[in-house]
Amino acid sequence: MILEINNYLKRSTASSKLAVFRICFGLMMLYSMLRFWSKGWIDSIYIAPKFHFKYFGFEWAQSLGEYTYLLFVVCILCAVLITIGLWYRLGMILFFFSFTYIELIEKTTYLNHYYFISILSFLLVFLPANKCFSMDVFLRKKQYKEIPQWTVDAIKLLMVIVYFYAGLAKINSDWLLKALPLKIWMPSKYDIPIIGETLLQQEWVHYAMSWGGMFYDLSIPFLLLYRKTRFFGFLMVVFFHIFTAILFPIGMFPYIMIVSALVFFDGNTHDKIIKFLNKMIKPIGSLWSTVTYDSISQYHYKRLKGAQWILCVFFIVQLALPFRYILYPSELFWAEEGYRFSWRVMLVEKIGYTNFKVVNKTTGASFYVRNGHFLTDLQIKQMSFQPDMILEYAHYLGDHFKNQGHRNIGIYAESFVSLNGRSNQQFIDPEVDLLLEKKSFKHKHWIKPFKDEIKGF
Amino acid sequence: MFKKIVVFSLISFAFLIGCSDDSSSSDTVWEQKSQMLTNWSDNFIIPNYQNLSDRLSDLENSVAAFNTDPSLQSLEDVRDFWLQAYKTWQHVEMFNIGPAEQTFYHLKMNVFPTSVSNIENIISAGNYSILDNSPYNSAQGFPAMDYLLFGIAEDDASIINLYSSNPNYGNYLTEIMDRMVINTNYVVNEWSSYRSAFISSVENTATSSANKMTNDFIYHYEKGFRANKFGIPVGIFSGGNIYPDKVEAYYNKNVSRTLALEAMDAIKMFYNGNGNPSLKQFLDNFATDEMPNLSSDINTQLDLCKSSIQGLDSNFVNQLNNEYLEMAATYDIIQAGTVLLKTDMLSVLQIATDYVDADGD
Repeated sequence: MILEINNYLKRSTASSKLAVFRICFGLMMLYSMLRFWSKGWIDSIYIAPKFHFKYFGFEWAQSLGEYTYLLFVVCILCAVLITIGLWYRLGMILFFFSFTYIELIEKTTYLNHYYFISILSFLLVFLPANKCFSMDVFLRKKQYKEIPQWTVDAIKLLMVIVYFYAGLAKINSDWLLKALPLKIWMPSKYDIPIIGETLLQQEWVHYAMSWGGMFYDLSIPFLLLYRKTRFFGFLMVVFFHIFTAILFPIGMFPYIMIVSALVFFDGNTHDKIIKFLNKMIKPIGSLWSTVTYDSISQYHYKRLKGAQWILCVFFIVQLALPFRYILYPSELFWAEEGYRFSWRVMLVEKIGYTNFKVVNKTTGASFYVRNGHFLTDLQIKQMSFQPDMILEYAHYLGDHFKNQGHRNIGIYAESFVSLNGRSNQQFIDPEVDLLLEKKSFKHKHWIKPFKDEIKGF
Repeated sequence: MFKKIVVFSLISFAFLIGCSDDSSSSDTVWEQKSQMLTNWSDNFIIPNYQNLSDRLSDLENSVAAFNTDPSLQSLEDVRDFWLQAYKTWQHVEMFNIGPAEQTFYHLKMNVFPTSVSNIENIISAGNYSILDNSPYNSAQGFPAMDYLLFGIAEDDASIINLYSSNPNYGNYLTEIMDRMVINTNYVVNEWSSYRSAFISSVENTATSSANKMTNDFIYHYEKGFRANKFGIPVGIFSGGNIYPDKVEAYYNKNVSRTLALEAMDAIKMFYNGNGNPSLKQFLDNFATDEMPNLSSDINTQLDLCKSSIQGLDSNFVNQLNNEYLEMAATYDIIQAGTVLLKTDMLSVLQIATDYVDADGD
């Protein structure tokens, strides 16, 4: 067994694989950042709001105000460095930190695919993606034909986790037995040409999409891993993600997944892509070819054991984290305890309506808060059905009104949430003073139990 | 091989679409939404705005008559037409869309409580153009008229005396009357060209008229109806400090309940569509298995609201001064309706509730 592992770790593969991945990743990030900027979201999400929702333990990640633009500039420059492979390691580290910092500023914008980018860029810091077709090669005049096989497999493993866990999460009674929430979402897509008024209105299509989506997510990693089904699997990836891009406003995610899936192809394919790219940059390419490199067959890590241990821990965390919900007694989709960072995508249709009552505990007098005074529309919408945000906002309100001179106050939430087309139900115990509840990873006893049952992962 | 797959999938795709078509003899969603928008524009928005314009025209004539000859009779006429127009307004307030939205029309018609100090300052200074600025929204429209017709002096005789002795008062009344007429007629006229854009904007986007109108309707229920008419006066947002002076038509002292009931009827009529497609029919067509009776549940809640309002004093000022808790109870019933509209209804209708444009996952 140990011998097998050792043999595996010694295996090598074409360095062009990670080079292609690096270039695709860099270009995608570059475009994503520019797109985000051009839509004015830097201001509306990170600068304009008076109050930002924080991840527990990361309250220190404050908005930089106008300087948040600088943070994006850093991200964009890093994406350029990554694409051309100049000072790759430094660029990747800076990208990881700046991108992650941006995500930490505001929790209401949490998306699984932003989290994916964060952890993928962390992983890439430790991988030799600049050993072929990069400025680093050009400057150091050293290029490597091969890199360790496990470095490419690490990316594959991360993708396998994303797909497979997303598939597991779909094995639940709402998704498979009731076709929820697709049954609610699809009829509202009537404005999509051709299929909108026809297929998407049919109930059997909602079931077919639910089951198909589940089988797709569970099987795609294996279709891509296995050589004979790889091309078919890739066609599926393209079809599936383009389809979701048409149906849902999910930004860059589908395209990122499509290009990432290229990493499963063999070295020849990647060599061809590099050759093609070489042709594309012919003007500079002539300069390129005048330099003579030491062509070295295999790249060896300087601190191999360190990198391997870090990634080992990284993957153990990735494998375990999505199952942390088991530790909570509440219904996962309802209370969302252990919901994030687990590749649960598109699983719930949730709408909340949450108001806060400030009570003077001495006199009993009370008043209601106008959420629009403190939060943006997006924040109100997200906060209204996520208990950790409801608590955080209640504490913010508490501080605000105490600063205004209110003494001995309690804050109570009147919260109603509708989950996957069910009638709204009281979400937060209206008798609980939220100011007395602390932020923690413990079970939140003040979430009212879900009156229905959703079985499954 | 690849070609075969493509051909096969195209054929099966065409087959599926063909199959799914024949089952639906009823209209497509697109057509249903289109009918709903046509119903909204032709049977609700345009006729109600037109109605308001007609009532304001009557009011304008009576104001002119009153100014020529201030008397108890001519004052009573103005007051009658003011109430007629104010009741019609309750059927228009939710349609803050298109030309009305662009011109901030609603903010110039019914922001209350009115600002007495601003009104008095402008009357003595005669600088009417200042009314164009948004801080002076509350110095015009129906609430300002409420003050000018009922609250400007102790009793009817002294009101008439004021208008007879000082033309500044009559001039100001004419000024805000003109503004109401001009602003309303602008909206009415614009609708003749805006109508086609309104009813053709059927797609499901945050800015389509189908979605905007639904959002406007909910916003009106929550803000214009629930908060302005009940929540704010009864102290929901102010620690139980009641504000009788923030009641609609405060100076009239007698019609706050009439106006609230009129608004209630307008809300219910719009929701039910008056026999034509509206939100209710949509909820019926798209009802989930989990809440098959949502559309009638909403009607039940709206009926509860109505009967609860009917139980209040015809003058909300008296209600607040005597038994404000009864009005707080009415507010709670109305609030339960907000919950239904903002969670259950929106969940079924799948309409973007805001103009936030952001990625999801």
